Formats: sequence, structure tokens, C-alpha cells
Amino acid sequence: MSSTWMTTRAWLLMLPLLVVMVAVIGWPLVDTVNLSFTDAKLVGTGGNYVGFDNYTNMLSSSNFSRTLVTTTLFAVISVAAEMVIGVLAALLLNQQFHGRAVLRALMILPWALPTVVNATLWRLIYNPEYGALNAALTQLNLIDAYRSWLGEPGTALAALIVADCWKNFPLVALIALAALQAVPRDITAASLVDGAGPFNRFRFVILPYLAGPLMVALVLRTIEAFKVFDIIWVMTRGGPANSTRTLSILVYQEAFSFQRAGSGASLALIVTLLVTVLAVAYAALVRKTAGSAA
Amino acid sequence: MSALEIRNIRKNYGSVETLKGIDIALQSGEFLVLLGSSGCGKSTLLNIIAGLAEATSGDVLIGGRSILGVHPKNRDIAMVFQSYALYPNLTVRRNIGFGLEMRGVAADEREKAVAEAARLLQIEALLDRKPSQLSGGQRQRVAIGRALVRKPQVFLFDEPLSNLDAKLRLEMRTELKRLHQMLQTTVVYVTHDQIEAMTLATRIAVMRDGRIEQLGTPEEIYNEPATLYVAGFVGAPSMNMLQASITGGKLAIAESDVRIPLPARYANAAREGARLVVGIRPEALRVATAPTDLSLPVEIEVVELTGPELVTTARIGAQRLTACLPPRSQVAKGEKRSLTFDETALRLFDPSTGKALPTV
Ligand SMILES: Nc1ncnc2c1ncn2[C@@H]1O[C@H](COP(=O)(O)OP(=O)(O)OP(=O)(O)O)[C@@H](O)[C@H]1O
Ligand SMILES: [Mg+2]
Repeated sequence: MSSTWMTTRAWLLMLPLLVVMVAVIGWPLVDTVNLSFTDAKLVGTGGNYVGFDNYTNMLSSSNFSRTLVTTTLFAVISVAAEMVIGVLAALLLNQQFHGRAVLRALMILPWALPTVVNATLWRLIYNPEYGALNAALTQLNLIDAYRSWLGEPGTALAALIVADCWKNFPLVALIALAALQAVPRDITAASLVDGAGPFNRFRFVILPYLAGPLMVALVLRTIEAFKVFDIIWVMTRGGPANSTRTLSILVYQEAFSFQRAGSGASLALIVTLLVTVLAVAYAALVRKTAGSAA
Repeated sequence: MSALEIRNIRKNYGSVETLKGIDIALQSGEFLVLLGSSGCGKSTLLNIIAGLAEATSGDVLIGGRSILGVHPKNRDIAMVFQSYALYPNLTVRRNIGFGLEMRGVAADEREKAVAEAARLLQIEALLDRKPSQLSGGQRQRVAIGRALVRKPQVFLFDEPLSNLDAKLRLEMRTELKRLHQMLQTTVVYVTHDQIEAMTLATRIAVMRDGRIEQLGTPEEIYNEPATLYVAGFVGAPSMNMLQASITGGKLAIAESDVRIPLPARYANAAREGARLVVGIRPEALRVATAPTDLSLPVEIEVVELTGPELVTTARIGAQRLTACLPPRSQVAKGEKRSLTFDETALRLFDPSTGKALPTV
């Protein structure tokens, strides 16, 4: 059979999917791009063509730069913490002990919870009047008076990061645990005979097998964290004093709260572009890690 | 004092007895091969010596000192694994030197030891490669090098050659023998390949089902197998085992009218009427040119030329017999011939216990 026929057939088979993808992704994207060059409001029709005004205004606004910093802080700190906690949890759960299976199952719970439920749960924990955190910290004599963890600009972002970590470290732990099963027993045994302690064993025996899968987890989590919306929307709505406003929240406010559809669309596209750049950079990194591990 | 002593080692996994009391004492410089079929507990025993598994009871001594409870790194052993177990992201150089590096040996001293091992194993050109850039044989050399540099009291090998192709396995076997003759270190070597066992060992422990079936020199194992199991396991093609009985002071081959004289050394061991198994190695058989007492009249069934020998399958009564004849022997399918052998090549076993009959 000729290869052109094979190629034609491949395209034919993919055609239905391609049509659907163009319809549900391509068309809205084109529409958003069009919108971003107008001063259209959310309600009402049309709007006038304003060229790159939306973009230049948005990029030069102090709101945007401050939000970008907040988003980056949120993404970097929470992802880093999730990676560290996730790997440590996986190492622990990879040991032989009674109740390991139960603990492994329990660990998945936070990740399996819907984000809204998780966010509500943490709002209760952080509650300034009857929250568990306040109770615990006062009883330990670490603070004198109850505080409003989500109500103070100084602590709100940190509180959000903790909640996000709690939800997402299990994903990293699961991926790492699966990778740990792939570490050949003989190599571990050889390192024991060779006299490698726990640290060197992690570095020379475990890490080579962990690096690839962890890189994938890192990519997934960073991109997700960069786009974060739901957990913040439920817990703080970007407040207090915009201290937890991330890019997605800003898009929402611009397009829906302030009803500036054109400007919101331009911001959405900027965020899309940023995430795409991240994704491409990571994809290259993953390919490099996979190459060196093989 | 023994270099390595294994005292009544038992190992249970749950309710399953994997090792059922193993006793071995090795002199310094001995090459012990643990030989047995899959699942008989060879690796388990080796791992107990290495400290990678814990014995349920019993003791292991190296140089007279009990090493139970001692960390593997402090047991003065080095181990080579079937899967090579090289560190994937370290160069060959660092792989070989890893044990020394972990023990804090200075870099220049380490470098010297690595170079020396690489020279012995002829892998100097590979030192800067990663394991993924090596062939199976080269990887195994690196794994051996990693064990060599440590200069341990005891080397442990777990089927180191079984992932190699036939030709390479032969080369590496000779290589290992050369290294052992040069270094004279005590070795415990696990394999299920009886040729490897015969060629490498100074002593072989044939294991079966968690027990040592026979412990002896390769010659003893080959010439005087203690049980039918050992007789059948060692040697290829394996030993002929003919059902027989003692009739009128002679060995009567079952379901035939063949009678051969009972060798004098078995005179006290066998009673009249007793059922026996007669063991004769295929290599001990030859075509009779003149009539003798010790002759087995057979009908040739299959003739296979392997190169160095003509493997001939023949029938004696209702039983089958294999003979390894010189390649140019004039035998053909369907022919009736007489096979003969030296009296000393004949072994007798008790079929009810599977044990060899005692000789005088
Ligand atoms: N960790 C374990 N848990 C339970 N049973 C085990 C374990 N390790 C080994 N066994 C059992 O112990 C027996 C001996 O295993 P071992 O690995 O020592 O065999 P072996 O002689 O090395 O076989 P092979 O030639 O296939 O490597 C096997 O029946 C095996 O199933
Ligand atoms: Mg084994």
C-alpha cells in the first residue's frame, strides 16, 4: 500500500476530530482575537475597532504588573512546595509498613475532592472567629489573639498557597510513587553494598528514575497554578486589597465585573500567550530530561 | 578458620520455607557455585550472605566473625548482579569507583584503583561512557570492575552471565576463571547453568527445594552424584537412568533380557530382587567392537550430529538410552548395535529414596 494512501487515510480518520476541534477551540479563539481589538462591552453589540489600545493599556497598567507578580509568586511557591512534599510523601509511602495501603488511599483524598469543596473547607479552617487554625495556634500559645488569615493582605496569599498545596501534593506524590516502583531492586541493593547512605541513594539511585515523571508533574502543575482561578475565587475573590488577585481573576473582573469585554479578551490572550510560552519551554525541558535518562 | 561459613541457615517467607537448613564452610580462595533450578533458593541464600535479606535462623561468618546484623556495606563483600545494576546516570568511571567514593577514599587513590580494574577487564576505552552506551557484555565487565576495586574478602555473583549471548557467555566465563586464578579471592557464584558450574567451581553445591542435595568438587558431582536429582541435573545430555533389578546376582535391565554383571564395589549394597536405577553417562558409552560382558544390545532410533559428537538415541527393551559417540561413528537409524562401557562408569541408585547406593 502506498504511503500517500496511508497518509490520506490517516487524515480522513482524524477529520471528524479536527472539525470538532476547529469548531470548539478555533472559532472561539478567532472570535476572542477579534474582540480584543474592540472596545466592546459585555452587553450590547459591536464596539469600535481600537487597534492595539487594549493591549498597550493593559500591559502598561500597574494592575497587570502587580497581578503578574502575585500569580508568579503563587505558582512558584505552591508548585515548589507540592514537589517537595509530594516526593517526601512518596518516599515514605514506598517503605514497607503496616497500613501502607490504607495510607496510600487516604492520601489521594484531597486531590479527589472538588476544588470548591476544598476551598470551603480551608475557609472554615481559616475562619477568624471559630477556625481550627486560630484555635490550634492560640492553644499552643503561638498567637495571642485570633487573626483573620484570609482578611489580612499579609497572610491571605500564604494561606491560599497552603490550601492549594494540600490539594495538589497528592498528585505529585502519586506520580513519584509510581516512578519509585520502577527503580530496579538490584540497583538499590548494589548501592547498599557499595555503602551509599540515604542521601546518596536518593541522588544516584532514585533521582534518575524520578526526574522524568517529576518533570511532567512540574509542567502540569505550573501551568495549572499559573491559570489558577477557582480556589481563589471561592476563598478570597482576589482580596483583600487585591493581594491575592491572579491573572485569571483579573480577566474575570475586567470582562465580567467591569463588563469590558474587549479589554478582558486582550488580557485573556496575553495570559494564553504566557502559558503557551511556559508550556513550550517545559516541553523542551521534558524532552531533554527524557533524553539524558535513557 | 573458614573464609566463609554458613551455619544452618533457614529462611521462611510467611509460612513458606525457602531455605531449610544450609551448611557450607569455604576455605579462603575457594570458588563455590550454587547450582540449582529456578526457585530453589540460590538468590535468597546469596542475599542473606550479602545482608540484603535476613535469615530466619542460622549464622553467617566471614573470617570467623558473625556478620548477621552487620550492614551490607560493612560485610567486606562485593556483589555482581544478573541485571548488572549499574547506576544509569553515572559514567563507567564513577560506577566502578562508586563503592570507594562512598567510603571516602581519596580521589587520586580511587582513580588508580579504577584504572587498574579497567585494565584487568580491558574496558579502559569505555571509562567516560554512560551504561546506556554499552553492550551487555561491556556492562557486565563494568559490574565486575565495580566489585573488583573494593578488594573484598568474598565476591558474590548472582547469575552474572545469564543475560549474555552464548558466545559472550563463554568468553566471560573464561575471563572470570582467569580473574579468580589471579586474585584468589573467595567466590560464591549462583547459576543454573551446569557447564558454568563445572568449569568455574572448585566446589559445587547442588541445591534443590531449599536444601543442599550434594556439596562436592566438580569431579565428585559429575562422577559420583549422590542422588538421582544431581545425576540428572549435571551433565548434558543427562545421565541415562535405566530401571533394573538384581536377578541371580546380576543386573537385569527391566523389560528386556539384558543381564550385566554387578560391579564388585556394589556387592554389599544390593540384595537379590531389589529394584534399582542404573546410571550411565552418555559420554561413557561406545560402540562395542568385540563381545564383552558389559554390553547393552540396542536399536538405534535417532542420530544427531552436534559437531564434536554424534548424539545417538537408542532403545534397550522398552527403555531409551542416549550415547555421545565420536562424530564419525558408523551408526544409522534402525541398526541393531551393542554399546559398551567401563565398569567404573556405572552408578546404582535406590529408586525409592533417590540416593546413590553405597560402594565398598
Ligand atoms: N520476597 C519474597 N517473598 C516471598 N517469597 C519469596 C521472596 N523472594 C523469594 N521468594 C521465594 O523463595 C523461593 C526462592 O527464590 P530465589 O529467588 O532464591 O530462587 P532462585 O534459586 O534464585 O531462582 P532463580 O534461578 O529463578 O533466580 C522462590 O520460590 C520464591 O518465590
Ligand atoms: Mg535467583
